[in-house]
Amino acid sequence: MIWKTAWKNVWRNKVRSLVVMISVTIGIFGGVFAVAIMNGAIEQRVDSALNNEISHIHINDPGFRDNYDIQLTIPGLEQIRGQLEETAQVEAVSPRIIISGMANTASRSAGVQILGIEPDLEKKVLNLHEKTIPGTGDFFETESRHNLAYIGEDLAKELNIIRYIIDEETLGKLRESDIPEQTLNKLSPYVGKRFHSEDEFEKEMKESLSRREQNEYGRLIREQAWSFSERSRMTLVFLDKDQMQTGAVFRIAGIYDIKNNMFEMSRVFVRKELLSRLTGLAENQVHQLVVRLNNMDQAKEVSSMLSENFPDLEVLSWKKIQPDLAYTTDLVQKFYSVFMIIILAALAFGIVNTMLMVVLERTKELGMLTAIGMNKKRVFSMIMLESVFLSLVGGVVGMIVSQVLILFTSTHGIRFSQFEEGFEAMGYSSHIYPDIDATFFITVTVLIIITGILSSIYPAVKALKLDPADALRTE
Amino acid sequence: MKILEIKDVHKIYNSSEVQVHAINGVTLDFEKGEFAAIVGPSGSGKTTLMNMIGGLDSPTRGTITVDHTNLADLKSSRLIDFRMWNIGFVFQSYNLIPVLTAKENVEFIMNLQKWDKKDRDHRTFELLKAVGLKERAHSRPAKLSGGQQQRVAVARALASKPKFVLADEPTASLDTKSSENLLDIMEELNREEGITFIFSTHDQRVVKKARRVITLEDGKVISDERKKKNGSSS
Repeated sequence: MIWKTAWKNVWRNKVRSLVVMISVTIGIFGGVFAVAIMNGAIEQRVDSALNNEISHIHINDPGFRDNYDIQLTIPGLEQIRGQLEETAQVEAVSPRIIISGMANTASRSAGVQILGIEPDLEKKVLNLHEKTIPGTGDFFETESRHNLAYIGEDLAKELNIIRYIIDEETLGKLRESDIPEQTLNKLSPYVGKRFHSEDEFEKEMKESLSRREQNEYGRLIREQAWSFSERSRMTLVFLDKDQMQTGAVFRIAGIYDIKNNMFEMSRVFVRKELLSRLTGLAENQVHQLVVRLNNMDQAKEVSSMLSENFPDLEVLSWKKIQPDLAYTTDLVQKFYSVFMIIILAALAFGIVNTMLMVVLERTKELGMLTAIGMNKKRVFSMIMLESVFLSLVGGVVGMIVSQVLILFTSTHGIRFSQFEEGFEAMGYSSHIYPDIDATFFITVTVLIIITGILSSIYPAVKALKLDPADALRTE
Repeated sequence: MKILEIKDVHKIYNSSEVQVHAINGVTLDFEKGEFAAIVGPSGSGKTTLMNMIGGLDSPTRGTITVDHTNLADLKSSRLIDFRMWNIGFVFQSYNLIPVLTAKENVEFIMNLQKWDKKDRDHRTFELLKAVGLKERAHSRPAKLSGGQQQRVAVARALASKPKFVLADEPTASLDTKSSENLLDIMEELNREEGITFIFSTHDQRVVKKARRVITLEDGKVISDERKKKNGSSS
């Protein structure tokens, strides 16, 4: 009866209750969706790091990561590889040579980390090969007598390997994409022009196009003007095992884009056998083994086990390889609940205010209920239930709305184009797919109920303090 | 059989300026099945006495005993329970719960008392029939007239078969026809159920119906007349 009466009491003043519920809905929706965006961004970052950059476990000499000494190779490589391949949790292993060097073109140079890999094995531990920009080459499949290199888009731009060209073909493609003729006319003077860097291209576009045109069509124009020549080459210069300078000219056989500026700027992939030959290392000398597991959640457990098996080596799980990623993941998990608690605390004040009005308006009725025999516990329960219903209805609707939007945006994503550069500088994609797991919804539901209960305490106590005789005399 | 004993009850209000002796040594007994009215001018102490009988207020001196239980011996929470099981209330302004239907209002106390659903429904419809509102069982108070609402209030007061019903000015908000109708119903229920009714009233129609009339003035009982079967007083 108390539940039924409380539920009906909530709808006594429909407008007021709806206002409170809508404010709770908006608050919950805002909070949950914001958390979903943050979670999606973090998950994408971790996913990208594990699948494109570092995989699950690295094994190397204990001193190797201090200064990347070319001499610190992994001893007993074949035995170690054999043991790894027999470990049930291990899906694949890829050996690497890692050296520091300089990448040069005619106009620019950049410091890089050169990774000598076996493409067939590397494809099993990372999905970097899937991030090749179409039309730039096929490093992982090509068998060629040439020295081939696989580099990041940002490095390619830095070295002026990527250019921007506006020609008739570009204008034609832009016209097909429904860019207005007025805008295309502004690009016409640039037909035949080659921009040697992205900065130069952006500068000219800013001068020619309006701000609105830049925002609406800038990305599309940049994509269509983007140009790469298959004849592009660069020189890699580094020290061999005897500390003698050496190097070679490499044809760019693929450009990858993983939306991570730092990684793209610094990692160049070449074939391991070629790098072995150039550095003077033996075929069985490698600096690092990259391990992919069947299940990434086992990384800590398996790396501990491998550490015991290989006491002379350094075995690191991904959380140790990129601790900032681990910290971000752990910190943000804690942040979610705090964030929601803050939102609910703010909403609670509105509910307290509403419930105080309810108690004031129903002074006589509450006096009557006490007079006819409704004890304090029941009066308290009724007020509390009304408060819980107010917050729960708004909360549930808020969660349904946010879930619908999350489902939609998790497929289509949300593009934060204006912040693309900033996102990619930190290694995050600007095209975020919001995501949240079911346990978060359960947590929020519990928090909503607690909010309703806590919000009811003060009004309920006020109701309990009413003297029934005085209350009945109220007009 | 005495169900209510009021012995030398006083109620004194102390304010900063003056002391008010609202009830000044009232002693009364009520038997089972009585149909009594407490009358008196405004300020005579009727409401104060009714509140004390109903356990909503406590006397400064004296005792009020309901069915051998001294109300002063009961702590607040037990007093509320005691009211639920033993005392029915009919208020001047009906005081029905507006979000509940007539049926739900009547069965409200029975729900608090955890009656079995079958028994509860049976009793509810019995009472609604007795007050002539069986067809309006599912109407909310806003859809009922004043007289109908008061009849629902009477049914509610009787639902749990209390020892007695306190009715404070039950006809004050009603027109003549509704008042008479209500009084007839209450008289009939008094006869059928044997439940004591104690009214606080200015209404002469109530006084006329009552079989006992207690007159209060300045907090004292100045007369206590029981009517004989032929309508004359003793």
